[in-house]
Amino acid sequence: MPPPPASAPAEPSEQRPDHVTRTDSRRPATFLEAIAEALWEEMKQDERVFLMGEDIGIYGGAFKLTRGFLDRFGPLRVVDTPISEGGFTGAAAGAAHMGLRPVVEMQFMDFVSPAYDVLTNYIATSRYRGAGPLPMVIRGPVGGGNRGGPFHSQNVEMAFFHTPGLKIVYPSNPRDAKGLLKSAIRDQDPVIFEEHKGLYRAPALRELLPQDDYVIPLGKARTALEGEDLTIVTYGLMVHHSLAAARALAKDGVRAEVLDLRTLLPLDEDAIAKSVKKTGKLLIVHEDTRTGGIAGEIAMRMNERAFEWLDGPILRVTAIDSPVPFSGPLEDYFLPSTDDVVAASRYLVQY
Amino acid sequence: MATEPSAASAGAEPGFSAATAEDILYHAFQARFLVQAVRKLARSNDVPDDCASFEIDPRTIVMAQAMRARQDGTGDACAPGRLSAGPALPFGATPLEFVRCLGGRRTNLASARGGPSWTDLRCGLFGWHGPPGVITQVVAGVALAFKQRSEKRAALVFEDWRAAETGAWHEAMSFAAAAAVPLVAVLAGDRSGRNGELGKHAPGLARIAANYGARTVTVGSESYQQIYREMREARAEVVSGRGPLLAGLIAASDDPWDRHEEHAADLVQASGIGPDRLRALERAAWAGVEHAAIRLQQEPNPRPTDALAPVTEDAGPLPPWTRHDAPNPGVRHSEPQGTSPEGWDWDAAASC
Repeated sequence: MPPPPASAPAEPSEQRPDHVTRTDSRRPATFLEAIAEALWEEMKQDERVFLMGEDIGIYGGAFKLTRGFLDRFGPLRVVDTPISEGGFTGAAAGAAHMGLRPVVEMQFMDFVSPAYDVLTNYIATSRYRGAGPLPMVIRGPVGGGNRGGPFHSQNVEMAFFHTPGLKIVYPSNPRDAKGLLKSAIRDQDPVIFEEHKGLYRAPALRELLPQDDYVIPLGKARTALEGEDLTIVTYGLMVHHSLAAARALAKDGVRAEVLDLRTLLPLDEDAIAKSVKKTGKLLIVHEDTRTGGIAGEIAMRMNERAFEWLDGPILRVTAIDSPVPFSGPLEDYFLPSTDDVVAASRYLVQY
Repeated sequence: MATEPSAASAGAEPGFSAATAEDILYHAFQARFLVQAVRKLARSNDVPDDCASFEIDPRTIVMAQAMRARQDGTGDACAPGRLSAGPALPFGATPLEFVRCLGGRRTNLASARGGPSWTDLRCGLFGWHGPPGVITQVVAGVALAFKQRSEKRAALVFEDWRAAETGAWHEAMSFAAAAAVPLVAVLAGDRSGRNGELGKHAPGLARIAANYGARTVTVGSESYQQIYREMREARAEVVSGRGPLLAGLIAASDDPWDRHEEHAADLVQASGIGPDRLRALERAAWAGVEHAAIRLQQEPNPRPTDALAPVTEDAGPLPPWTRHDAPNPGVRHSEPQGTSPEGWDWDAAASC
């Protein structure tokens, strides 16, 4: 990965919006603040990096992630776009051709659909066609549990998962979010960066982040909890449900290993296989709907890589196959819960 | 070939030099011979069947000539449009590379994995074609980069008229207008016999442009000098920061060359190019196209394993094993040699 240009001198902290100063002032950062810090730092040290998206400039973004950015970086680097997701995503590709590093924000990742054509037909294929690399990031909030309804609550990873040429990143905590986003911005290929909105301001996730300019490599999973009785492979918000389930299981003497994928494409098969060969049992948990979810792909790959090591069927805990309901009780039923993970884990362990 | 206007010749418009006239005439000769060569190659199946109706509109050469093309990555940008060599020629495309694109030879960029879609950043060329409307999005982004860097460069994109029916194209124009990027977007006439509709749509062009606060230029049957002047003015306007401009390329008849001899004669007279020089241009153009047609038939097709190119920077060559999985997962009947697909034992794998 090419190193960024030398850092600019640090500006006085009063010129920065408060939410990007957590780490420098040794305060814990939320998931959203970690992402904002990553963007700020990358924009400061690499003038090629710029942002595009709806309402990110004057308004500061729908989730106020980019407030203050326009004042610091100006309208050419914080570009307020019209409601034309396809148009500005394609434009980001053109800018990337010319050596810039655009970070495109989808106000909600549900709105990425108009950009599907340019993303899959043009952007993803650029390197393979010989048109050159397109270093760009498409990032935005995903996920349900906020009563956002069908148009503001989806997980979109599988729409792009089978498109060769893209990378898909889905962090679960502030530290990973910051390090992975920096890696994504510095990567030479287009990266879809999904941020579960339920994690944005979750108080329990606040953590002190490293002060150095750290990156976390794409394509590498993280063992969130070590165990020996079964492997739970998961990502995003479901990592926290899985950890809660593991704590509940531990009371019964069951030690579950929780593997946080962090990057969905390329998938860290080696890490999954290594864990499965250790525990012999595999449960995959994702918030995405069941049919066509990544659990199917992981199960098949482990069938190919580690069949002889399995001591039971590969199971999955997912959302149901429906659009995301708006009503609270319906949405709660739609989404996988900690109890679902516990129940599936107990079944597997006893198999 | 010089692309900068130098001292004007007697009778020529200001800024329209003998060198510019020569460039236009040379590329027009190239285009004419290329049309003949490609149609012949289609009959011999050296290029796809649909190239049998391959055509180039010489006016697109003039339009592209009016931009500032460079071959060192510092010039204007151009997306020539579907299977359209016309605008690409003034931007440094060669007949040989063009027919390699069409013919899908291994010598083509990326072993023809991309089909007739050639991007060359040194020349400022972006794709020969892509999904309708999408290439306008991309070129709007190229223009955005020019603006961000305060470079006095413009981007020119050609699309078929039907692109204006797509949401993708309108989103591109919406963005280009909002960001006031230096983009000249051309909607070119449909060559499949819909000229009558183009006449009806010409007023539509102005209405579309008005939606985006853009001025329009209509290129019809005027002289090449006039087309050149209008495009130079269009370029200057978009580079000045006024925002994108929409140009309509309206066909007066089914044959894009029917006024060419007349316009070329005007050029020759206005620029003072002598008959010997004109013949030399024609011979040089013919030599390049003939060379390309002969070379194409000698060049190899891609190897099957050229399909296994990496899709991302750190991916490495693709493994071919997806079609050759042994029945027992975890055990392979033959292993690839190192990481190179060249060592894959196709015969052994096929016997699994």
